[in-house]
Amino acid sequence: MDVIIKIDGVTKRFGGLVALDKVSFNIHKGEILGIIGPNGAGKTTLFNCITGVYKPEEGRIYFNGMDITGLPPHKITQLGIVKTHQIVKPFNEFTVLENAMIGALFGKRAGKITKEEAREIALKNLELVGLAEKRDELAVGLTLHEKKFLELARALSAEPDVILLDEALAGLNPKEVDESLDIVKMINRDLGKTIVMVEHVMHAVMNIAERIVVLHFGKLLAEGTPQQVAEMPEVITAYLGDKDLALKFVRR
Amino acid sequence: MERYRDYLSRPTFILIVILLIAVWIAKIFRLETTDYLITIMFFIGIAMSLNIIMGFAGYVSFGHTVFLGISGYVFALIVYYNIWLAEMLDMFYGLPIFMIAILAGAVSAVIAILVGIPVLKLRGAFFAIATIGLDFAALYIIKAVIPIINPEFFGAQIILPAYALAYKDNVFVAMYLTFALVLLTNYFVRRSRFGMGLLAISEDEDAAEALGVPTTKYKILAFALSAFMTGMLGAIFGLNAGGVDENLFNLAHTIDMIVMIVIGGIGTVMGPLIGSIIYFIIYDTLLVTYPEFNLVILGSIVAVLVLFAPRGIIGIVRGMTIGGRRLRDIIE
Repeated sequence: MDVIIKIDGVTKRFGGLVALDKVSFNIHKGEILGIIGPNGAGKTTLFNCITGVYKPEEGRIYFNGMDITGLPPHKITQLGIVKTHQIVKPFNEFTVLENAMIGALFGKRAGKITKEEAREIALKNLELVGLAEKRDELAVGLTLHEKKFLELARALSAEPDVILLDEALAGLNPKEVDESLDIVKMINRDLGKTIVMVEHVMHAVMNIAERIVVLHFGKLLAEGTPQQVAEMPEVITAYLGDKDLALKFVRR
Repeated sequence: MERYRDYLSRPTFILIVILLIAVWIAKIFRLETTDYLITIMFFIGIAMSLNIIMGFAGYVSFGHTVFLGISGYVFALIVYYNIWLAEMLDMFYGLPIFMIAILAGAVSAVIAILVGIPVLKLRGAFFAIATIGLDFAALYIIKAVIPIINPEFFGAQIILPAYALAYKDNVFVAMYLTFALVLLTNYFVRRSRFGMGLLAISEDEDAAEALGVPTTKYKILAFALSAFMTGMLGAIFGLNAGGVDENLFNLAHTIDMIVMIVIGGIGTVMGPLIGSIIYFIIYDTLLVTYPEFNLVILGSIVAVLVLFAPRGIIGIVRGMTIGGRRLRDIIE
């Protein structure tokens, strides 16, 4: 499989705290990769290193073979990696359509795209997540669930190759989780986007991801298929708790 | 649907054109004195200049008068030494006055870029405080340096030479051109991709950066553009007054600018435009009728507005609909 993002020995410290400790793994083109781990394991920090919000102290990150370590976030977005935020950050006083248009205007084709094209891309993605009817409403009036979908539509409008979903399912009810998973699958399968998801909704990530990476206290604890990971003793003690329960997640 | 934005933004454009024509007609028919028109244009102009960085990008530049001051002094100095410059450059008349005003504005823009690179990393209140510091620093430098350049500039006051004061009408035209530049710049920036990026920054800077908006570059550009226009207005204000003194740096002018934007409604073009017109009328009327209560009454009006309509006049009406279309879409 082609490697799209290569994370090579990345270390990130905050004062004395080592948030990421020589983490190395590859993200393959076209896959859905799940990143799991207890709170404080360094998952969000890892996302922030990939998207340029933090600059790692050691190690490099490569995107399609190109070293992107230390580039500013907007450059990385324009290269083709977009993150959705754990805590949704809609532009409240913008309409839903304008929110998505920002993604298109400043994304991968920044500067080479007319407003009309941006509007079309935005509308297409709003339709995909089911928000097209609310396009002229202000984002501030959306529900949490809709705001999460708006985050996704906005990220998609930037036309990325890789989408990083930071706890996109947190706070949603089971029905909304299922809806979201269907959309994520569709984005992966039909649009060919590589998806990396940090997730605590265990049955969701175990089901949808082709591979799982487990982080623990900033270190890479395990890597493999959901089945393999759920059976690893060190993962069970660190995070999942109970082997039977872990396997139940996979089967669901 | 295709021309959604273009269509909807037109009312603001129409208002700008009407305003420009109205000022010109008032001038021709002498409905008001020329001085009065120049003052109105100056007031609206400084508010609309600040609007680029404060209204669009959401960064309150509290020491924005620093650019009135810097450009005012640069302008006065060049005008003062223009005859000497003319000899040196072998030009008969020296530099044209309007070109000197543009140069003076450019100096402010350059300073805004140099200062903006470190200072625009600060957010919210810290940025506002840093700009106040800039205003004081520039003021004390000017007060120290200007009298050294020429003993005639006693008390850091420069009185323009007689040749520059000849025609009030020329001052009017210079102010009018600058005023038109400021209004149209606001209109076109608001509609552009650059403008959308600035508004995204004011909504959520981290989200904007994550979506590809080059936030640092945009903030510095907006600050420089705002400083340039404020600077040009400061220069022409100095021309109109026949000279410059340290009052140009007075922070009270910044408060005027901020209040005008807040009354009208932040984040729009029409808001600050209407806000500054209303502010000027109130200010002017109160100054004549109740000179001693002028600021008390104005302050109370502002306090009430900020409490009950934090997004200004535009904020009150933007939720309303006319013929199925929301006013928000029409006025922005």
